[in-house]
Amino acid sequence: MNNLYVFSIFCLLFTSCVSKKELYFWDKYDVSSYLYLKNIDEKSTQDLITTYEAIISRQNEIRKVVPPGIYADYGFILLQTGKTEKGNLMLQKEINLYPESKIFIDRIIKIQEK
Amino acid sequence: MSPRVCFLLFSLFLCASCETTSNIKKSVAYKGIYEEKPISILLMPPINKSTNVDAKEYFHSTLLVPLANKGYYVIPPFLSMEILKRESAYDAELFLNDPIVKFGEVFGADVVIFTIIHSWNKTYGNVKVEVEYIVKSTRTNRILFERRGAINYNTTVSGTSGAYGALFDLVLTAASTIATKYVDVARICNTYTFKDLPGGKYGVLNPLEPDELSGKKVFTANLNSQSK
Repeated sequence: MNNLYVFSIFCLLFTSCVSKKELYFWDKYDVSSYLYLKNIDEKSTQDLITTYEAIISRQNEIRKVVPPGIYADYGFILLQTGKTEKGNLMLQKEINLYPESKIFIDRIIKIQEK
Repeated sequence: MSPRVCFLLFSLFLCASCETTSNIKKSVAYKGIYEEKPISILLMPPINKSTNVDAKEYFHSTLLVPLANKGYYVIPPFLSMEILKRESAYDAELFLNDPIVKFGEVFGADVVIFTIIHSWNKTYGNVKVEVEYIVKSTRTNRILFERRGAINYNTTVSGTSGAYGALFDLVLTAASTIATKYVDVARICNTYTFKDLPGGKYGVLNPLEPDELSGKKVFTANLNSQSK
């Protein structure tokens, strides 16, 4: 009977320690986006770009696709740094992956073209 | 003490440490969400009523991840910020009690999330935050869900243990900035608040979810960097 108690306690501990897989991989998105939001300088922009590239290239979580908003914000920052062709390509990738983004991405493209 | 009593006490201890739910099923607590089935979310810039001038950015930069991880399409925060500024709509407080149908037309957002940081106070080793979240429909203008939390975050708890862990923590503490730590406070608050939100279009389908118990509408929680 004692063995049963030990086994039960082990199971309780084990189930409370198992880490669940997330839908997406985020690298250090929270900190990078905070520093960009706060500073918007060359260093924080480059750091955020590096984070976006890591997120795009290392998706091995449940969905195995790039999370919502990443292609779009990455593309938007590329456009702002003069990388128009790659920026537009990223915006298009966001629309392809998440069709609900088309409405505001079309709007931002129009704003950029003015 | 008999093994039976020990086991019972230990089980009670484990259960007590996890007691975060109300007695209300998700189908009731999240009735509006189940009825309208929103797909896309617009994050409004948080309303900062606290004395910490950076609290708005801490929360704004950490809202995308927990909501996307629940399966929702979150309008990209930097892109939406640009449009909100151009449309003179960056001050979220102006829209808190007004119709928000326009946000549906401009962004294609089904719901808008308002975040109000009521207070942010730090003492040695602790940050106490009071924060409120309001999920409002752009289709019907009704509040689909709201939750308010008083969170006590212990900044001294870290992910390592033992002698090497202590040494590692010392190095990490010296190397990390205060800002990084406070980003983590906001991240944990957001993750904790939205952890029982019904799954969205891109989430993992769970037909039994509406029968699960929801979290509390008004809650207090003691959290640290290890909290999920």
